[in-house]
Amino acid sequence: MRALRSGALLFRKDLRVLVRSRGLLAVLIGYPIVIAILLAIALSGGDRRPGVAFVNLDAASGRTVQVGDERLSVDDYATRLEDDVDLVRLDPAQAEEALAAGRVSAVLTVPKGFIADLQSGLKPPVLQLATNPRSPIEAQAIERNLESAVFRLNQALATAYVAQVLNLVDLIQGGGTVGIFGRSGTLLGLNESSTELARVQAQLRRDGREALANRLDPLRDYISGVGENLELAKPAAQAIASPIKLEISEGAPGREPLSALGIAGALVVGIGLVGVLLAAALLSAEREDHVLSRLGRGLAGPGTIIAQKAVLAALACAVVGFVLLGVVALSTSVSVGRWLLWLPALLLAGLASGAFGLLIGALARETRTALLAGLMIALPLAVISLIPGNDIAYWASALAGFGPAARTFQGLLVDPEVTSSTYSGMGILAVVALVYGVAARVALGRRMHA
Amino acid sequence: MGDRLLEAHGITRRYGRVEALAPIDLGIDRGERIALTGPNGAGKTTLLTMLAGVGAPDAGVITWTGESAGAVGWVPQKPALYPRLTVRENLRLFAGLEGTDDADATAGGLIARADLGEFADRRAGALSTGTLQRLNLAIALAGSPALLLLDEPTGTLSPDQRVRLWAWMDDLVTTDRMALVFSTQSMDEAARNADRVLVLAGGRLLHDGPAGDMDEAAFMQLVGDPA
Repeated sequence: MRALRSGALLFRKDLRVLVRSRGLLAVLIGYPIVIAILLAIALSGGDRRPGVAFVNLDAASGRTVQVGDERLSVDDYATRLEDDVDLVRLDPAQAEEALAAGRVSAVLTVPKGFIADLQSGLKPPVLQLATNPRSPIEAQAIERNLESAVFRLNQALATAYVAQVLNLVDLIQGGGTVGIFGRSGTLLGLNESSTELARVQAQLRRDGREALANRLDPLRDYISGVGENLELAKPAAQAIASPIKLEISEGAPGREPLSALGIAGALVVGIGLVGVLLAAALLSAEREDHVLSRLGRGLAGPGTIIAQKAVLAALACAVVGFVLLGVVALSTSVSVGRWLLWLPALLLAGLASGAFGLLIGALARETRTALLAGLMIALPLAVISLIPGNDIAYWASALAGFGPAARTFQGLLVDPEVTSSTYSGMGILAVVALVYGVAARVALGRRMHA
Repeated sequence: MGDRLLEAHGITRRYGRVEALAPIDLGIDRGERIALTGPNGAGKTTLLTMLAGVGAPDAGVITWTGESAGAVGWVPQKPALYPRLTVRENLRLFAGLEGTDDADATAGGLIARADLGEFADRRAGALSTGTLQRLNLAIALAGSPALLLLDEPTGTLSPDQRVRLWAWMDDLVTTDRMALVFSTQSMDEAARNADRVLVLAGGRLLHDGPAGDMDEAAFMQLVGDPA
């Protein structure tokens, strides 16, 4: 009870000191919020497109291939891809050098025989993409963009190919001039063949050659059956052209949307810096004001001081987090509606980063040192936590709770249902908070009773 | 022997390989004024922090007697307070931390007693050195201590500020029967303001006797001439 009362008194004192230290408050809370917003914009930048070297090795690339209504050359192909990536036309050696130097994030190569394969329709033409393993984030973005571009082009070509096949089916049924896949000629057609056979049969019967006329009946049945089956094949061919169609309807004209990664990044950096810097500054200030020896003779133990400041840091982080989420909700079309889950997630992230900051504050000799150390340790770890799909980055940043916080925030933003990984992320944050809280308590206890 | 407040038996303290306090026995009576003196690094502050309960001795026991057990006021050498809080807020906070029932009334009483009325709503960080030391001392009184421990309380004060501070200390001893233990580098200050002088050197208690028995010559003979 005494510890609770002491904690409450020190909590109120810290709040009062913070309100009166406007410069410190601006550094501890304003600066992380500004950094977080800038980071969110930088990570979300909608018009940021990766640079890709484009190498054309196909000698026939100047030729145009006609597929139904689609006319296509390598240049057309490149133009279409430029909707998704920034292409830089280079020769193979230049492209290799540019990739190695990091001036482009990938090299897209049109190999020899690409147009011939496209024209023959017998073998799918292949594009070659080489990405830079040192730029995994850019490489993933390029792969996604090019897969999307190739998919759209394939769909257009498949539709054109099927239209050509259906024309051929019509020709087989009705007859006419053929011009497809580089071949030409005139076809009689099944309908005309059946009519011609009927005429021959009638003539044979008039000539008294009934037996011979009857022998043509199976041939007429075959022609009739083929015609009916081809009629049935038309809708099946249409279905092959587009097995699944995606209907896209545009929503209300949107405000500039931030990506989930950008928002999660802003939250991690914002909360991480606020928690670490605030807690480190509050605790080291106690030492700088020489009050630890006074508090240490029974007025407030190290556990009380650590718990009180961790709670204050967590609440400050939650406030900053909700301010950032409010900005997102008001200025973008991203849904952040899981407010009841955001509260524990933000509090636990704040507790973890606050406890980490308290350990720094307990070890540092003065506030300036604590702030500098906190900034130097927290900022890179917070940025590292945003590297997607990298376990080393995750666990390195998990040292200060940033990795689990980033995953938890992204889960709350994008997962259609709250999964166990979101809850396990919160669990890891609680463990990190506990470990650093205990370590900070031990370090502070040694300082107070030295 | 007067009204015994506290007894320490065989208390020791080491910092790594350094023996800061050799086994020390000490008794303190209510209303007694004790000066603790000795060269730098003698162990004066260490002994005071052990008595204040800030640090625990490695060995030995400190036993309180009577109803005032543990009622210690601790005045560190550097003012231990919050510069961004006002004088009143500092006193109210520490009165609350001491567990007083009415922190506002306690703070008001201390402001009057320490003659801090005109500074009550001024931030502590804006006070002069002498006024800050009065606040530092007033905070130590927030828990109504029976024993006041002061670590070189006049080290940074001007002569007139020292006179005011000792007048206040005299009042605390005579009116409240508070016991004082203060460390000082000045034998003159010790002789003038203490009933009893303890001389420490190298963590050992070399002398424990009436203030009249100790002057600078006796002190130098006891601790040796460092030159």
